[in-house]
Parts: sequence; C-alpha cells; structure tokens
Amino acid sequence: MNALATGTADAIKIRSLVKRFGAFTAVKDVNISVPAGSFLVLVGPSGCGKSTLLRMLAGLESPSEGEIAFVGQTVSSGAGGVIADAGKRNAGLVFQSYALWPHMTVAGNIAWPLKVARWPRDKREQRVREVLSLLGIDTLAERYPAEISGGQQQRVAIARTIAPQPSILLFDEPLSNLDAKLRIEMRSELMRIHRATGATSVYVTHDQVEAMTMATHVAVLNNGRVEQFGKPIDLLRNPQTTFVATFLGTPPANLIPVHRAGDGLVFGDMVLAPASVAAGRDDAQLLYRAEDVSVGAVAGAASLMARFAEAAPIAGRTMVTAMVGDLRVTAMADSYFTATPGEPIPLSFIRTPDAVFAATGERIQQ
Amino acid sequence: MTSLSISAPSGSRLLRSGFLLPAILVAIVAILVVAPLLRILFTTLTPEGIAAWKAVLASPLSANLWWRPLLNTMILGFSVGAGCLLIGGFLAWLVVLTDVPGRRFLGLMASLPYMIPSFAAALAWGTLFRNSRLGGSAGFFETSGLAIPDWLAWGLIPTAIVLIAHYYSLAYTIIAAALSSVGADLVEAGQMAGAKRPRIFFGIILPVVTPALIAAASLTFAGAVANFAAPALLGLPVRMQTLSTRLFGMIETGQNERGFVLALLLIAVSALFLWLSDRIVSGRKAFITVTGKGGRTKRFPLGAWRWPLFAIAVIIGFLTTVLPVLVLAASSLAPQSGAVFSNWTLHFWIGEGGGEMAQGQAGIFRNPVLIDAIWNTIRLGLVVAFTTMLLGLGLAYTIVQRRGSLLATLLSQLAFLPLLVPSIAFAAAYIALFGAPIGPLPSLYGTFALLVIAASAHNLPFAVQSGRSVLGQISADIEESARLTGAGLIRRLFAIIFPLAIRGLFAGAILVFVKMVRDLSLVVLLFTATSPVLSMVAYRYAAEGFLQFANAITLVILVVCLAASFVAHSLQNRVQKWKAP
Repeated sequence: MNALATGTADAIKIRSLVKRFGAFTAVKDVNISVPAGSFLVLVGPSGCGKSTLLRMLAGLESPSEGEIAFVGQTVSSGAGGVIADAGKRNAGLVFQSYALWPHMTVAGNIAWPLKVARWPRDKREQRVREVLSLLGIDTLAERYPAEISGGQQQRVAIARTIAPQPSILLFDEPLSNLDAKLRIEMRSELMRIHRATGATSVYVTHDQVEAMTMATHVAVLNNGRVEQFGKPIDLLRNPQTTFVATFLGTPPANLIPVHRAGDGLVFGDMVLAPASVAAGRDDAQLLYRAEDVSVGAVAGAASLMARFAEAAPIAGRTMVTAMVGDLRVTAMADSYFTATPGEPIPLSFIRTPDAVFAATGERIQQ
Repeated sequence: MTSLSISAPSGSRLLRSGFLLPAILVAIVAILVVAPLLRILFTTLTPEGIAAWKAVLASPLSANLWWRPLLNTMILGFSVGAGCLLIGGFLAWLVVLTDVPGRRFLGLMASLPYMIPSFAAALAWGTLFRNSRLGGSAGFFETSGLAIPDWLAWGLIPTAIVLIAHYYSLAYTIIAAALSSVGADLVEAGQMAGAKRPRIFFGIILPVVTPALIAAASLTFAGAVANFAAPALLGLPVRMQTLSTRLFGMIETGQNERGFVLALLLIAVSALFLWLSDRIVSGRKAFITVTGKGGRTKRFPLGAWRWPLFAIAVIIGFLTTVLPVLVLAASSLAPQSGAVFSNWTLHFWIGEGGGEMAQGQAGIFRNPVLIDAIWNTIRLGLVVAFTTMLLGLGLAYTIVQRRGSLLATLLSQLAFLPLLVPSIAFAAAYIALFGAPIGPLPSLYGTFALLVIAASAHNLPFAVQSGRSVLGQISADIEESARLTGAGLIRRLFAIIFPLAIRGLFAGAILVFVKMVRDLSLVVLLFTATSPVLSMVAYRYAAEGFLQFANAITLVILVVCLAASFVAHSLQNRVQKWKAP
C-alpha cells in the first residue's frame, strides 16, 4: 500500500508484449498497467496465452517483443530478454501443481527460499512461524508434502511464496486442483492474504467467477490477445466484444443473431429492435441478459415459442434454458418453474437489448 | 432335496470364489521358490553340511574358499556400483536435463548395453587385451606390438570395467526415469526463490532422485556380485575367484556341500545389501514426486559444452555397444585370434572340419551340437517366456483381487523372494532339491525340464510385476461394465481382458525370452551335454581357448535377441490397432 504513495510508476506495466514459439504466437501485443496493491486477474479459455503471460512476468520465459516493467524498472524486454532473473524481481509464483519440494518438510519448503536469500537463522525461523500461522498450518510444520492433503499442500505453496515478502505475487490457476467447496474457501483466504501482504497480485484462471469475485482489474484473453481490460464491473456492464459478453457473468448472457428487414432487426419473424441500433448494418447480434428474457407471454413484449431444456432454481427464482432452433436461450422465471424437456414454452424479451454487436463480434456504439 | 439344493451351490461357490486358483498358485510358488531354498539350507545342516560350513568359514581353507572370494566380490560390487552410478548418472543427466543434441539417439545408445550379454563384452575384452602370460595366443594389442600388463589383461580391473560397461545402462534407465519425473515446476520454484543452477541441482534435483540413485547403485551392485560370466572368463585364468565362480567350481568338482554353503553365503551377502538399500530408501522420506504439469521437464542450456559432452556420450556408447560387437565379428573371421583384422575366413562359421585350422574342428554351422543348442536355446526362451507370463498373470490377478488379505501378502512376498537370490545360487538350490530322485520322481538333474522350472522360478518377480502392470491397464470399471452385459468369465476373458492385456504380456514375454537366451549364470550349473544352450557352448569354447568359436556363437545370441526385439516391435503395433505406434 505504501508503494502507492511513493511514486507515479505502475507496479506492473506491460507494453506491446509478444511471445512467439516458432511459428505459433502465444501472446499478441498485450498492453496492461496496474497500480500497486491491485489484484489483476488474467482470465480466458485454455490455450489463450494467459499462463505464458504469467511466466513472462515471473521471468521464466523471455518475451519476443515489447517489455515488462515493475515499478518503473524494465525487467524483461524483447530486445534484452530476461533482464532481471526470476529470483531477482521480488516476485513469487504459486504453481498450479504447487511444486512443493518432496524431500523437504513443510517448514523446510518455506525456509529454503529464505536460506537462498541469506536470511539469518533467527529471522528465518521467526518468518516461517509467522507465515505458518497466517495460513493456519502451524501443526503441519514437520510433515512431508506427501503426508498432507491437497488443500494443505496449497496452503504450504502459498506460505512458501509469501515468506520472502515479495512485492508481486503471481498465481497460476492455484485453485484448479481443489474440490468445489475448498475452492470457495480458498478464494476468500487468498484475498485475505493479498490484503495482508500488501503485494500486487496477478492471478491466472479460466474460471470467470474467480475473476469477478477477486479482481480489482480483469484482463480477458482470447487467442493470445487481450479482448478487454478494466474493472470487473465495467467489463460486465460494458463488454466490448461478444467473447467478453458471453464469457463473463452468471448466468451467461444471450446473443441473438438478427438481420435487418425494413427498419427493424428481426429474429425469425419477430422484430426485436429498430434497425438504427445496428448503425445501418444488415446483420447484428443483440445482447440480452437472462433477466431481460422472461418465461411466459408478457403484454407488449416480443415473444416466441421455445422448447424447454432445463431449469435450475437460483435465489428464489428459476433459471430456465430453452432451445430456439439450435440457439440456446437462458431466461428467468419468477418463483419455481419446471416443464418436460421438449415442451413448448413462450419466452418474452421484456427489455431492450443491453448491447449491440456486429456479426464479426465487435461492439456497435450507440 | 434340501441337502441337494444346499450342497450344489456351495460346491460351485467354492470354485467361483476362486479357492482353487490361489491354492494351486500357493503350491506352485512353494515348490518353485520355497522348497529349493529350504532344501539347500537343510542339506548344509547334515553332518557333511556342517563339515562344509566349518571348511568354508573356519579352517585353513577358508581364506581361499570364502574370505578372498568375498573380498574380490565386494571390491567388484562396490566398484561396479560406483562406476555405473557415475556413467549412468552422467548420461541420464545429459539426456534428461540438458539441451544436448541428439537426445533420443543418446538415450537409445545408453539403454543398449543391457541387451548385450555381459560375456560378449568380456570376450571382446579378451580378444583385444589378453596377453601371452598364460600361453595360448595373445590378443590384438599384444600381437600388434603393444605390451599389455597383467593387471589390464586379467583379474579385477578388466572384470570391473566389463561389468560397468554392461550394467551402467541399468543405472541409466533407473536414474533417467527418476530425473524425468522431476517436474519443471520444482526447478522453476527454485529459480523463483533466486537459487542458482548448482544450488538447484544439489538442493532440489539431487535429493529428489536420491532414492533412484540408491536403487540404481544397489541393483548394479547385486548384478556385479551375482555375475558369473565376466569373472569366469577374465578372472579364473589367473585364479581370481569371486563367490559365484567359487561356488561354480565347488559344484563342478563334486564338492556339493561346500558349494551349497557358498551359495547360501552369496544369497546372504546379496540380500543384505539389497535390504539395506531398501531400508535407506523407505520410510517417511520415501516421497513420491508430486507430479508437475504434464510431466514437463526443465532442460538447462549447456552452451559451449553441448558438442563436447555429446561427443563424450557417443564415445561411451560406441565403446560399450558398437565396439564389442565389431570386435567379436572381426575375431570370428580371423584365423589367428590376435590378428583380428587379417586373413579373414568364414571357417569358424561354415568351414568343414579336419583341416589345419582350429585343431580340425568344423565351423559352428556345421557342428551338430551347435545346431542343437540353437534350437534348445530358442525352445527354452519360448517355453520360459510362456510359463513365466502365465504364472505372472495368475499371481498378479490373485494378488490384486485379494489385496490386503494374508494370502495376497504371502504370495507377493514369496514371488519377490528370487529377487534377492543371485541366479547361480538359485541354480545351486535347484541342484540340491532335484539333483537326487524325490520319492517316486526321478532326478531331474540335467534335463530340459529342470532348466525350465528353475528359470520360471527365477523370473517370478519380474513376471508378477509385469502381470500387475498389465492388469493395471484394465480398470475394474471395464471388466464390470462387461459383466453387466451378462458376459460370462470366459467370454470376458477373450473379448475384453485378453485383447487389452496382450500387448503388455507380449512385451513381458519378449523380455523374458531375451533374458533367457543371453543368460549364463543360471544355466551354467544346470546345463548338461544332453541339453546344450548357446551361452553355455560359447562359454565352453572360450574356456578351452577357442575364442573365435565363442565369439561367433555370441554373435548368434545377439542376432537372436535383436530379432526377438524386432519381431516384438513390429507385432505389437499390429495386435492393438487402436493404439498409436
């Protein structure tokens, strides 16, 4: 937190970053900056380049082009390769596999990086005790990694990473090997640790819920490119591409393909919006959130018949999925609702579309 | 009525619950493994046996019978263990953890020497280095005018070198497997902590693979201690005795009791070290590596050292695989065993007997004993491969099905017992048990059947292990889903289990076949003139000084082994079409 006051330099600044493996470009022209103390989440489907980006931040891969600067200091660049070694960036990485050294006890695992950094013995022991109790694993100190559970291993991996007090914490899908309940628990645990250390965190995940709940800043990646970067709520409210619009949010939003007929945009034979919102285009996609589509006919709203697929009760209402031809549409029903799969049910579009996208995926500004 | 309806199902339940199979297996294992070992022990407890214990351990003879051979055996064991660890470890490090060029090629070369019988290297050594001290023809170097000192021609040093050249590839295989299980994440976690390369190597990589290093050292130690061929060919001419050559000599000269005592002592020595190494490795520190992402390994750049280190690895591979084979081939064509590269002739292969050469003996392919030996060897390999895999599958099935039960524990412990017994000592135990008629059964000594039984027994540990890995590929789910369709046991066996297991069984069988074809230390005691095998014929020729014949036969053994591996390789891809080659 103090870093905020000390200067204007961003804690992490990524500029025009490119990473190529042979002919394959894993990361394409990425530009991201976050202030100290941020919790940046890189989210995207597998293979989108988010782990490669993280490994470049860690100093384990060198960029092909562009540069990375930590608090104004360039640590990697396309021209200079890895300028500051992985161990010299004051950064810590929590591996997806935890990467605990199997021949050292829990305490040994945590102490080793401190030994490498030449901490004096008494300070080392004190720090090991400190992080053990911060993570609530004091009783495991003398166990070997093979003797503790996956959730405990996860805590040891985090303890080991924060022990040398890095100013940047990197997480590579740390929760993906845990069961659902433990994952939710560790989520708040991680945020607590992030705040307690005051470090700037970069967190890689494919789970958009983790991104939405933990991040101060989110970068949605797809095919090596940043589709959109910003505060989670802005991305949710104001998606710039159909990829972001459908990737974020629970339940997922609907994209309805429409084409122009006269001065209206129609889906099937139903007019959903005036042609003007598509700025003169013949084809467009309309974004409707689940809460914008209602089960049952509503007076004055455009409605169509769909085949019921499934229903899931959520917080007193019901999320209903139905098929319109091959298109999957998610709608909300008040109170409890169910039907036989295949049964025709009416769906009504009760609000105007939240956003309009071109057929190619980019946002059409109103 | 009631009695019928009760007795009929209970009878079939007895069968269905598989009471019969375990009972048969326990009996087989008891006869194959326990009986010979108990018998050899009890034979040494008779008055003659007690006298033999005294002669071996506490008499003026004991220095010659026990202490000196023990010392030689220990020196060989430790130097071979250390040498294999160094060379095998170096190659494993190079291939797995660095960016050395041609890694696959180097890995293949490093795994080859184990396929070549250890007496091939010993014979090649003799062909090159033997000197004229013992009379007979000198080797290549001395014939070419280089004086070869005794220590380089005979005894401990050449024996150790030859054994290292053979066993380092075993160490390589074990260490390379361990090194590739060290995930890149473990190394990168060290880098993130700021550790430099030496620190990562000594602080992380080395400790993680320590169990594998200990296993490699102890297995190569045990191999060297049990080996017969190398010390017999390079040590016996100068009266250097190891426990295994001593044991052979005793039984060969009819002093069976003393031989049995030596066999028991050899078992004790070998088992003690294997047990000790197991103790060091097991316990809380018997960590399984928490595996990394997709088994990715971190390769360190060698920089300027890439090509020099590549060259060193190639030279090691060349000296231990290509060169011995070339020397054997050249020597089998040379009329004068010292002048390896001149006046080549095919006499030793196909020449007619009665001439000047080779004291009038015919070439090996005109020698009826040899033709006999070829068929015997192949027959032995095939039969033992079959019985071994059958037994292994049955044992593994029973052990897996009854996991945790006393029976399963007993069976698996007994089946792994032969691992602790050097093969020549095992052969001695078989002589103790079957050397004389048992009740109405005739003596099996010198029969083909005894070879098969002893070999099957000795291969049991390997058989159970590969049986388990084969069954491991067939999950319980697969079998149960077949059972839910209503298919009976036989049908399931042929439609589901057999097709899935065939590849693994085949691979195991080929390994057993190759092991048998190149084995000398097990057959050397059990062999007789009526059941000659190739390795034994080669050994006899070498012992009588006909190096060219011995070398030619060794090449035949090599060709049979290579052909088997090749057949296995090409068949494997055909039997399971759904698997990518």
